Amino acid sequence: MRSTGDTLRTFPYDIAETVLGNGLRVVVVPTDAPGIAAHYVVVRTGSRNEVEPGLTGFAHFFEHMMFRGTPRYSPEAYNDVLKRLGADGNAFTTDDWTGYHVTAASGALDTVMDLESDRFMNLSYEVEAFQKEARAVLGEYNKNYSVPINALLEKLQDTAYVAHTYKHTTMGFLRDIETMPQQYDYSLKFFERWYRPDNAALVVTGDVEPQAVFELARRRWEAWRPGAASLATPVEPEQHGERVAHVPWSTPTLPLVALAFHAPAFDPEDIRGRALDVLAQAEFAPTGRTYNDLVLDKQWIDWMWAGVEDHRDPTLFLLVARVKESERIGPVREALEAALARAATERLTPDRLAAVASRLRYAFLGGLQTPDQVALAVANALQLTGGTAAIDASYRTLARVTAEDVAGTAAAIFRPENRTVVTLAP
Amino acid sequence: MKTILLPSKGAPLVSLRLLFSTGSAHDPAGREGLAALTGGLHVEGGAGGLSFREILDALYPMAAGIAVQVDREVTVIHGTVHRDHLDAYYDLIRRVVLEPRFDAADFERLREDQVNAITAGLRASDDEGLGKETLNALIHEGGPYGRPVDGTVRGLGAIVRDDVLRFRRERFTRDRAHVAIAGDVSDRFVARVESDLASLPRGGPDPVHVPASRKPEGIELTVVTKPCRAWAISIGHPVAVTRADDDFYPLFVAGSYFGEHRTFNGVLMNKMRSERGLNYGDYGYVENFVQDGGTTFPLPNTPRRAQSFSIWIRPVAPAHAHFAIRQAMRELRRLVEDGLTPEAFEETRAFLLSYSKLWAQTPSRRLGYALDGAFYGRKSLVEELADRLPRMDVAQVNAAIRRHLRADAAFVAVVADPEGAPEFLEKFVADAPSPIAYDTETKPEVLAEDRVIAVFPLRVSRSKARLVPAESMFEGDGPGGGT
Repeated sequence: MRSTGDTLRTFPYDIAETVLGNGLRVVVVPTDAPGIAAHYVVVRTGSRNEVEPGLTGFAHFFEHMMFRGTPRYSPEAYNDVLKRLGADGNAFTTDDWTGYHVTAASGALDTVMDLESDRFMNLSYEVEAFQKEARAVLGEYNKNYSVPINALLEKLQDTAYVAHTYKHTTMGFLRDIETMPQQYDYSLKFFERWYRPDNAALVVTGDVEPQAVFELARRRWEAWRPGAASLATPVEPEQHGERVAHVPWSTPTLPLVALAFHAPAFDPEDIRGRALDVLAQAEFAPTGRTYNDLVLDKQWIDWMWAGVEDHRDPTLFLLVARVKESERIGPVREALEAALARAATERLTPDRLAAVASRLRYAFLGGLQTPDQVALAVANALQLTGGTAAIDASYRTLARVTAEDVAGTAAAIFRPENRTVVTLAP
Repeated sequence: MKTILLPSKGAPLVSLRLLFSTGSAHDPAGREGLAALTGGLHVEGGAGGLSFREILDALYPMAAGIAVQVDREVTVIHGTVHRDHLDAYYDLIRRVVLEPRFDAADFERLREDQVNAITAGLRASDDEGLGKETLNALIHEGGPYGRPVDGTVRGLGAIVRDDVLRFRRERFTRDRAHVAIAGDVSDRFVARVESDLASLPRGGPDPVHVPASRKPEGIELTVVTKPCRAWAISIGHPVAVTRADDDFYPLFVAGSYFGEHRTFNGVLMNKMRSERGLNYGDYGYVENFVQDGGTTFPLPNTPRRAQSFSIWIRPVAPAHAHFAIRQAMRELRRLVEDGLTPEAFEETRAFLLSYSKLWAQTPSRRLGYALDGAFYGRKSLVEELADRLPRMDVAQVNAAIRRHLRADAAFVAVVADPEGAPEFLEKFVADAPSPIAYDTETKPEVLAEDRVIAVFPLRVSRSKARLVPAESMFEGDGPGGGT
């Protein structure tokens, strides 16, 4: 790893990139992981792209369908190959993108690429498989449903947004999940629209050599035809008044209080995004003033989280706390609002600012231990910006954040009329 | 005291695991939850002149933490730090282990957290965890494993700070300590860690007695009731082998074939999820399994002297619960009667030989596996598999299945809505048919098999079937109290 004094580069590995003739960007990051490689396919489509009514949750559902076979590899044959390799493979969907990942012996990379490129080009499934998978997705919703934080976030997004597709979670609305079995034809359209090399990227990390990977990638992925759709996502209008909602809960759980504020989209050069990262850490993470006050001293709450998850479109700064006793919901909310108001008027000390910057940087570096973790970090930059420069750029921006930036951003964002408050309680 | 070292020249990170052979199985009667509370207070109760808050402040710029994991048999204090900060970091760990303060305010905070983890967490908002803990309580009823690591509501209520001090004095001893270090560290550093731990008092080891688990009499059903829109199901029975036994390893192959965790390799996953869309996933295990965070890999340092076989059926629609249990038990019977084919054995063996190597990708996990090997008097699971799988054959696997798995008797735990639970229980004990209807297109061969599954006989024990409200679980005087 590079020394902490080197502020130009944070990412500790060399990145090699090429773009295939069909527009597919291929990124290779050799790391010290003897005999192991991770293979990530990034599709820059997530629940954000679900613009048509009645079809929320479809990006995630489609991720499941990607495991339902091709003419060359049935689902069983696909799994048998991965099984023989002893590979660890899976996929996930977020608001903005879908990731398909396999970790295996580096010597098996060509086999993995053969399997993966085949399904991105030649996916094919019957109605029966489609409908059964739709019900597995309902099962996934059901398993998540007993967890209060999921219900809270579902209500929060639905309340905070009026136009943008971030209004629904990646799982989608239950009413839409229930009708998924009827959407076979739409699923074919979805594949045509989004599963295209010009809407995707490939990341390979671990015990690999870039030129050899580029050669494999050309052989396996070049035939994938470009032609990604472009559908505008609705623009969220500015919020002009506080929005409030409550989720009643039928079992004796600990109440949750969430405050959310509209905040900027991810931009590695935008000082506001990094200023909010600093503020979330400085005030609400362990060692932060509000954490110390509410978790350790008053012991009103047992858990809290604050921050902005990087998104392609304008998103939310979220502050959520789990309250130990129902009668404290009001006082906790007041304490959180007071902390946010204070952030706009007070200034962080230089020492605190330096400690937070160090923390964020070392936490990022400490999370790059395995090829899979490195690939995920690179894939995330690719999905957000289309390139890899954003990683170092965002840490350079972080290093420039001043106490004035933090206070100024807080003043601009934490306005009552920009606020959504959602509570959950028995 | 034993030391395990995994040196790695030039590695930027150093990982430490300090393991004590003491866990919730050693909770004194009436103080259930004490080991977990003592473990938690080591890292969150202040140490050596520093409050917990001051320790957090010191750790903060390192982006490192001192974590504790308490399980039935062991407590492990662990962390990973950039070597730039090793000395300052180790100074904090040393204080946590040698000079914990157990500050009174932190004692109250963590004790309340632990109660909430049972009352508001496990019982109210973690249906799958509740199903698994209920199954565990049935398998180990009355024994030291038969309750959650967090203890019981009553046990926690009875604990005073002096209990923690005593437990720490008696159980966190040099004779129960194991040191494991990975990274680019000097011999002097290792010697310092060893000599620090050698300053702990003597005592132990005195492994807890784990009585043989009661074998289920037929199918013993427990339905835990709470509001829920889908029902979580766990099925299992005790097995006589652990990683210490030669027979464990062929049985492990059978477990992978039947239900490898979160993959499409397993019979259960393919039959229940892929073919029928019953739920999100269906898995089988031949030892206690805890998933490590966001990975699909087993969490290290959860060893046990007595193990069990289990099936995890993720939440299903209430109308499908009876069918799902029948199908899982029928597949288990096929496994016990038919075993693996030579081809299935070869595929599973090849899979495990490579896949198991992914379990040890980080130094901290490698240390955890090495410590588990020491617990069982073996090498790490990854190394044992690498040694044994190449010389294993299908006959050994099928013989191990016949010796250790049973398809005619099991504990079944279902977390169910109170509205539907009584009728479900009644039909279940009557072994009434459970035909399934789909609102999706289904292959004819699947429908044909469904008709067989719907009447697959289960030898249900009528006298053992019961309904239990979730709020009475793990209270301390009823189900899952386990003294």
